[in-house]
Amino acid sequence: MNFLIELFGPGLAEYNEWNIQWGPDNIQVIIAVLGVSVPLALWFFWTSLARISSLPRKVFLFGLRVFTFLLLGLLLLQPQLELKKSHSQKNSIVVLLDNSKSMSIKTFPTEEKRMDRVHQTLQANKDYFAGLKNKFNVDTYFVSDQMEPASQVDEPFPARMPNTDYGKVFSALKSNYENKPLAGVFLFTDGADLTHSAGEPSRELVENLAGFKSPIHTFQAGTNESFKDLSIQSLSAPDFGFVHQPVSLTVSLNASAMGNKNIPLVLKEGKKILISKVVEIREGQGDYQVDLQFTPRDLGKKVYSLSVPLFAGESIATNNQRDFQVKVIRDRTRILHLNGRPSWDSRYLREVLVSNPKVDLLSFFILRTLSDDVAAPTSELSLIPFPSNLLFNDYLNSFDMVIFQNFRFESFIDKKLLSNIKTYVQGGGAFLMIGGELSFQGGGYDRTPIEDILPVTMQKALKNYSNEEFKPVVGQKLKHHPILRLEKQEVSNQKIWESLPLLNGLNLGLTAKPKSHVLFGYKMKESLTPVLVTIKTGKGRTAVLATDSSWNWNFRRVGEGGSGRYYEKFWNNVIDWITNTPETRLLRLETDKERYKEGEEVLIRFNVLNEDYTPASGEKLNLTLIKVSGENEKHLLESDQNGDSTFQFLADREGFYSAEIELDRNGETLSDKISFGVSGETAEFDKPLVNASLLKNIAEITGGKYLVLDEAKDLSGYRFENPEVLVQTKRKMFSLWDNWWSYGLLVGFLMVDWWARRKSGLS
Amino acid sequence: MMGLTVTIGSLLFSQSVWAADYSKLTIPVIKYRGGDYRPRPEAVRSLMAQLARRTSIEVNREPIEIKLTDPELYRYPFIYLAGSAGFEPFSPPELRTLRHYLGYGGFLLIDDNSSKIHSEFDASVRNLISKLFPKIPLQKISRDHSIFRSFYLINRAAGRVLLNPFLEGISIKGRTVLAYSTNDLGGAWAKNKLGHWNYDIVAGSSTQRQASIRLGVNIVMYSLTLDYKKDMVHLPIILERLRRYHSK
Repeated sequence: MNFLIELFGPGLAEYNEWNIQWGPDNIQVIIAVLGVSVPLALWFFWTSLARISSLPRKVFLFGLRVFTFLLLGLLLLQPQLELKKSHSQKNSIVVLLDNSKSMSIKTFPTEEKRMDRVHQTLQANKDYFAGLKNKFNVDTYFVSDQMEPASQVDEPFPARMPNTDYGKVFSALKSNYENKPLAGVFLFTDGADLTHSAGEPSRELVENLAGFKSPIHTFQAGTNESFKDLSIQSLSAPDFGFVHQPVSLTVSLNASAMGNKNIPLVLKEGKKILISKVVEIREGQGDYQVDLQFTPRDLGKKVYSLSVPLFAGESIATNNQRDFQVKVIRDRTRILHLNGRPSWDSRYLREVLVSNPKVDLLSFFILRTLSDDVAAPTSELSLIPFPSNLLFNDYLNSFDMVIFQNFRFESFIDKKLLSNIKTYVQGGGAFLMIGGELSFQGGGYDRTPIEDILPVTMQKALKNYSNEEFKPVVGQKLKHHPILRLEKQEVSNQKIWESLPLLNGLNLGLTAKPKSHVLFGYKMKESLTPVLVTIKTGKGRTAVLATDSSWNWNFRRVGEGGSGRYYEKFWNNVIDWITNTPETRLLRLETDKERYKEGEEVLIRFNVLNEDYTPASGEKLNLTLIKVSGENEKHLLESDQNGDSTFQFLADREGFYSAEIELDRNGETLSDKISFGVSGETAEFDKPLVNASLLKNIAEITGGKYLVLDEAKDLSGYRFENPEVLVQTKRKMFSLWDNWWSYGLLVGFLMVDWWARRKSGLS
Repeated sequence: MMGLTVTIGSLLFSQSVWAADYSKLTIPVIKYRGGDYRPRPEAVRSLMAQLARRTSIEVNREPIEIKLTDPELYRYPFIYLAGSAGFEPFSPPELRTLRHYLGYGGFLLIDDNSSKIHSEFDASVRNLISKLFPKIPLQKISRDHSIFRSFYLINRAAGRVLLNPFLEGISIKGRTVLAYSTNDLGGAWAKNKLGHWNYDIVAGSSTQRQASIRLGVNIVMYSLTLDYKKDMVHLPIILERLRRYHSK
């Protein structure tokens, strides 16, 4: 090498190896051709020198030709000088630590977690690993269905990963150590690979393992002995449920080493127990299927919790409870429709209600009064007794809306029961009174609990009802109200209202209450006699339509060349508003998804409207986010020009969250609340058993050893081959033929040869 | 406040001209060309009196007459077409109006007062209906139809005469829009102002007249409540009563 340094200069001092590389791929052919042709040419050349008598001259000429041929051969073989710098490298030993969730499962009889066994073993063999580090590179990784470097393993590490897949782990390992000498692998795990139900490794995993030239030693954390657990293995629950309709659940329970006992399976909403069912657990039977039914009573996203008791010594505590969410919606809006007498107004409204697929209608027509003479025995009539007690005592809360249409309650409903309607509305129900001679004062509702909840007060007039024809005038302040929205475009909507047929039949003596909304009325001089009035009462809503002629907007409009479409739309709007459907609320809170995954971004969005249903911009609202931990986060948000605003946060923990938004407006608090679930993976607890067979197979295929960590084991017997491995870090090539001096030498030889031959008398 | 409201109420009524009470049931008689459109002049008034006496329906007792071309037609969802002789075919605009009227919520009761089977009026009516609904044939109304249980439980059709023990009708989208009686219902209903029946029942008794009145009440009640009596809440009681009624 020193010779080369002297030859090529001091720049080569950093190289510690050299080598000659021959250029052409077909070098053997060239050597063979040269081996035959060069001696033959030399023999002919020697015979051509016969005329030269001087032996020294003959030898000189022959020598020149030999050198020329050698130089030519050298050019054909294209030699290059390779200079290399290389050093020896340590072999690697890889320690793989399973940090999937199943490693948190306890093992018996010591009731230690599987990962604790691993940690104890690592601690007990600290010196051994320190010794290994002197000779090897010891790299430690956490593994699950991926590999991540483990920088600190002195402290117990968390078992948090949701999945185990050795196939992916060994693929990543092979890829990471493709160019590194791997002397061996320690795998500390419970073997609970979710992709392997049986002990035999899959074909893909065997092929993967066969590529390893170093042993994989497997260390089984925990055992299946005395594995005791009671778990809710699976739960089949619908995402949606209907209010007042039973929701069915199918629950799969699994019991291992639980003995014979009767256990309660309890369904709760918050702290309230909804249903409880006793399940008989018997030794020798593992799986149990239980069917449950419960009936949601409120609308919205509801979080329920299903649980079985946690017994002493159970391996897994977390699988004794399962939370789930059901979005409770109305299947159909249940409406109780009472008609004081058959009329065109009641008939056309009933047609709208019956034809609305979202409405579940129970209607009663008072077909006769006590003063009517039917001239027939009851058995020849189709009339049934009016079940007022059932309706207003027992089943009132099962209705979403109650309509009194031209209905006088006396003779049919005990006056005391009217207070039930008031309570029903204040608790969130909806009540609508439609006009006619038997409504309002004509029905005796003044100074009753019904007057308390209605948006109007009633005064005695000379006459409570007028047949006069009138044009309803829409209050301009409330023209955006959802009830009045017959067309989406404001201009079109206004035109429709102006084109509707006149009404006739008006209840008089009604005065709109403060905080009520007069949506349209009868304009007399400068004042507006209320016709359609709404109000919020307690948690519920009520409305009055002080006329019995809205059917004109259907049949009469048909006669004018239109259709009953807007009549239908109007009544559907009334139903939507009065039953408080989300679209009709002034403040609405929603999330962009029904459910989220752990670690996902949650988007909460709200929309706020003014009292006149125009977007409320610049409103400041308080958003309270209640996290799984119970921790409350408060945020002040401001609405944009559309009345919207959003809030984002990272759902970093599984469980159920809720968000509540509040707005104080003119002494009244508007609020809305939503709940949403963030789901974590529980698959690790669905297959919690230790898979010893798989670990044995992995060790056997790779030439490693299998060991059960039933206590902190001594690993000092594990030895690894440690051959010297040189790693080249630098390389340089010099051409020995493609340069001026090799060609110059060749030409020089040929010139001297030519000159000597001429001097010797040869041509 | 009470005083103020009284004043407003008084003002309203002092200013208003007479306004028809369209909330109450009015049954106009259809005027047509040819024949006799009012052979039983007291029929509607008498039926209205029976409705007022027997049911909670509020009625305008004074009968009105109306042409199909009258723009006020759509104020009255129930119309009555009666006759005893053949009449001129309806003009295309009249047919169009009647078809539209029935298709969008109206109801037509046709009453053959001729007391004859295959009368000229009957021929005119069938000709009218075939032009009115060429694709929907006139069919017998079944005994379990709401018309037969909307107020009274009725077994069969009745009238002043009993030519056919059934009603015929046309139904569109589940709603019967037209009912046709050949048994002179109006003759059985008609009563003079002194309270005497205008026409004797043919080969029958007062029971037949009562059955005719009941059928009239039921037809009107059906037009106002449609299939209300088929709601589940009524069915058990109605079926039980029907069972007992038929077993008599």
